[in-house]
Amino acid sequence: MNVGIENSAQVTVVLPQGRLDFAASPGFQAELEQAIADGTRQGVIVDCAALDYVSSAGLRAFLVAAKAAQRAGRYFGLCNLKPGVREVFDLSGFSRIMPVHADRVAALAALASAL
Amino acid sequence: VCESVWCTPEEPGRGSTGDGAPFPPRPARLAVSGGASDAPGAPRGPLHAFAHRFVGADGAWARPFDNLILAFIALSLLSVGLEAALELPAWALRPLQVAETVVVLVFSFEYVLRLIDAERKIAFVFSFYGIVDLLAIAPYFLAGVDARYLRALRVLRMLRVLKLQRRVLEATVVERTRELAEKHAALVATQATLNAELEAARALQLAILPATFPAREGCEGAARMIPATTMGGDFYDFIELADGRIGLVMADVSGKGVAAAFFMAVARTNLRERALRHSDPGACLADVNGALCAQNPMDLFVTVFYAILDPGNGRLCYANGGHNRPYVRRASGGIEVLGGAGGLALGVLPGEPFPTHAFALSEGDRLVLYTDGVTEAFNRGAEAYGDERLRAELNVGPDGAPQALLERICASVASFADGAAQSDDITLAVLSWRRGQVEVEAIRARTGAQTERFA
Repeated sequence: MNVGIENSAQVTVVLPQGRLDFAASPGFQAELEQAIADGTRQGVIVDCAALDYVSSAGLRAFLVAAKAAQRAGRYFGLCNLKPGVREVFDLSGFSRIMPVHADRVAALAALASAL
Repeated sequence: VCESVWCTPEEPGRGSTGDGAPFPPRPARLAVSGGASDAPGAPRGPLHAFAHRFVGADGAWARPFDNLILAFIALSLLSVGLEAALELPAWALRPLQVAETVVVLVFSFEYVLRLIDAERKIAFVFSFYGIVDLLAIAPYFLAGVDARYLRALRVLRMLRVLKLQRRVLEATVVERTRELAEKHAALVATQATLNAELEAARALQLAILPATFPAREGCEGAARMIPATTMGGDFYDFIELADGRIGLVMADVSGKGVAAAFFMAVARTNLRERALRHSDPGACLADVNGALCAQNPMDLFVTVFYAILDPGNGRLCYANGGHNRPYVRRASGGIEVLGGAGGLALGVLPGEPFPTHAFALSEGDRLVLYTDGVTEAFNRGAEAYGDERLRAELNVGPDGAPQALLERICASVASFADGAAQSDDITLAVLSWRRGQVEVEAIRARTGAQTERFA
């Protein structure tokens, strides 16, 4: 899968595209961990506007990233989830343990107020 | 008497899901052809057979002839070197000229043989070595015509050193081919060992999935797990509780393969053990969640639907740890979802609550438990099977035994996937419930009595 990265002064925005399945999740997880490990920014936002599908292995990548962010004291949040992806996050309960925002403006506002 | 139908899990890729991801992947054939061991085809006549014997890659005299050429290359380089480096007296030039003539004749002989042996003559003539070979001999013949102007071409004889390169390259190819063959054999052996280990682990994993549904009057069940790879992360289970009720489990570990299978075994053992201590499904999942969070170094998790069925009255109580909501196909025709607030997938956060909900099955209802491998089976166009298709399949009548419904759904998923590789484990369980025979007879007796009274 393609993963876009947009860096600004405060935040790294990660943009996964297509299907996040068993095969794609290790690469995606590595991108997230690298972004979280970047000490010059305050947090990571995953913009899921182009994410079509998440398998349970993909969910695990989000979980590992959320835990890593918590340990590192950085913000980690999601935004722009398509309905099918949103359903997976809701069913598994993951939308209750990591912030899920409607759009990027809301995510950036949450990041700003969290710090 | 209760009839139990419980089918054993299938092999990946076999049966109703059609073409699953093949495992183990066939070892890619290592490219060892094109080297010295590759026969360029059958002889095309006596002349070709003769030439092939000398210069063919597998020619009978190719090796000694090659050594002979090597010796002549050395001799020729020596003579060229001597001639160029030293001002030789006239008596010394004569043997060198003879040697030069012999060398050129041998090289010419070799060139002609190679030309005859080559399948594509033009390509040989204009190939790198074809040109080198020609340049190695051409100056001799050309210089013989007009020595004054073409003597400069003799410099080209130095190119004979390039003929050595062919020899070195061929030796390298032979060596590399042998190395590749050895590595390939080692890979095949390693893979065979690995496959045997995986096969043993797979057999062990499938063996811990229940082979039969517990014998209970009025209950009938069928289940199937089709792993996407050798080992699966999905599992189903039923647990005979002390009070006569039956625990029903449908679960899905994140990911697939060996890591998921290990976590599956841990989760399944924890769940089975703790189910015996809890009469409430939610309390049981909370207990299991705590245990899994304490032994989860890889941040794996498992979604679990856990229900307890009272076979006596059809009452279900259930709790959901992040799993797909099961369906109840009513005997009357409708489809209902076993919903209500669920908990988080297990193994993520300790201390999470798992609310318990209740549902009353009616006579002839079908309970359908599944993992997302069913609804997220993809076809070649990357389209998912989806909830709608599953619900539509549940609505198809007439009602048969759970086994028949299970087969029908599996066939529907397989036909939808149409040979696309299976991306996730597919697990499905179907249960039907009706009152035990004794109670049914008692009701019949009661209604019969009522009928008589009305009559």
